[in-house]
Amino acid sequence: MAEIFDRLVIRLLLASFVCLMIYLYRYAHVIFYPTVKRQVLKKIHPAENPADTLHLFSRVIGISIIFSSISFNETTGFFLSLFHFAVWGTIAIVLYLLSLYIIESIVFYNFDYTDEILKRKNMSYAIISFCHAIVIALLSRTVMIEAENSIVILLVLWLYMLVIVGFSIKYYTFISKLSFNRLMIQKNMSLCFSYGGFTLGAGFVVASCFDQEHYDITVYCIQVLLKTILSLIIFPIFKKGLVKIFPIKMGDERSLEGHVENEMQSLGYGFFEGCVFISGAILTTMIVNRIQFGTIYPFF
Amino acid sequence: MYKFFLYSMLVIIYLGLAKTLSPSEIGVQYLQNEKGFSKLVKGPMTTVILVDTHATGFLIKTFYQKYRVILGYDNVEELIVRTSREFARKNLPNIGLSVYRKFNEKEEYLPLPPGSIYVNNNEFGDWKLNKKGETKWKFKKSFKNFPRYLGWGKFRPDEKFFQDLKTSISLNQTFYGPNKEFGPEGYVTQKNFPHFFKGERKKKVELKTLLFEYFKENF
Repeated sequence: MAEIFDRLVIRLLLASFVCLMIYLYRYAHVIFYPTVKRQVLKKIHPAENPADTLHLFSRVIGISIIFSSISFNETTGFFLSLFHFAVWGTIAIVLYLLSLYIIESIVFYNFDYTDEILKRKNMSYAIISFCHAIVIALLSRTVMIEAENSIVILLVLWLYMLVIVGFSIKYYTFISKLSFNRLMIQKNMSLCFSYGGFTLGAGFVVASCFDQEHYDITVYCIQVLLKTILSLIIFPIFKKGLVKIFPIKMGDERSLEGHVENEMQSLGYGFFEGCVFISGAILTTMIVNRIQFGTIYPFF
Repeated sequence: MYKFFLYSMLVIIYLGLAKTLSPSEIGVQYLQNEKGFSKLVKGPMTTVILVDTHATGFLIKTFYQKYRVILGYDNVEELIVRTSREFARKNLPNIGLSVYRKFNEKEEYLPLPPGSIYVNNNEFGDWKLNKKGETKWKFKKSFKNFPRYLGWGKFRPDEKFFQDLKTSISLNQTFYGPNKEFGPEGYVTQKNFPHFFKGERKKKVELKTLLFEYFKENF
């Protein structure tokens, strides 16, 4: 009984410690977004600016996803495991926020956080930012697991992951009929669903490319690169296939580029594109990662 | 058209990178035909015996062959190579035979029973009369393991074997032994290269049996 109670106490203490780390994150958030200092460090008014609330809490979800990759090893001692969590948690937060900052600088190069979120309360911007936060967290989590407590490998894989994500995000303009910049200015919701679906799909694909056994970092990086290129080859097949299987008609065929008059139609098209991207991406991960070709050696 | 071009480029880049960087492509050498042995096999008095052959792939097959390389004055090595379809098919009736020999800088590609290169060579052994009154080839003590390496088992060549061997070489004909002891049909090869002749490798499974086994295993 004493042992069970002791373990419960340890769990409660660790939960409190994780809360403390998330509390520290509030200050880290202000470093990257200094304009929200008053709003974040004091009480938050969700009703006042839902876009900002979504923007902030998407980061909290992301931090939680990354923290789930760090494990406590109680056998090394309680304080040492706390220290381990604090060190790797801090590294994870820093890398995560840095990744988000870089990716959002690429995607939102024409837009400013202060203008879009604080002044215009652009929900489209907030939802896209939310998707970025989730995807980057998922990828950072995968990279942290693969790094296996090696800071050098973590840095190499993190940089590698950023390059792949940076390129894959630029792929959106090739495969979507929606104009990103124009619809973003219009606060068009179809864009956020379409782009959100694409980002989540791309995140699943890249995460699955990184999620494999590795013994040698060079061979591992080559395998990730090959799988990423293979995904680029497979994904269009599913996208084309899904569009052929479920053909859509939206008013005038020439008006697909977000010029649709009826907003519901536009929203529907956003859902359609987003869903096609996500399902195509998930199916791509299956084709790229779930086929076992075996080896010749057992037969030989 | 532009997208098609980009997609084609992507496929070409993938194939090129996979070919040059993939670990599965590194390590297994390619053997186009028998002429390629001279680059892979070094050393004098060498014989190369085809031990096993295997094909992988669904639509586009890749052919692999396993060889036992016996370096006369040195050791025994195993050599696995990828080969061309033509060479793999051509070599199917040559399991257990020596398909390449090198002696005194001379190369031979005619499929012959393993060890033909050493028979009647006094450096490796002598003709001995046994208790039954038969003259058989016997390796010297330093080469006592050669019958095992060559896949002879209890078989020992006699003088008739050697005469028939010489005739086949002069006629440039594949030789399977005086009583066809070697090759896929020969009892000596079948006994000493059992892996290739395993029952399950030859067995054709019926769809009904396959489905029955599948449901039995999975449900």
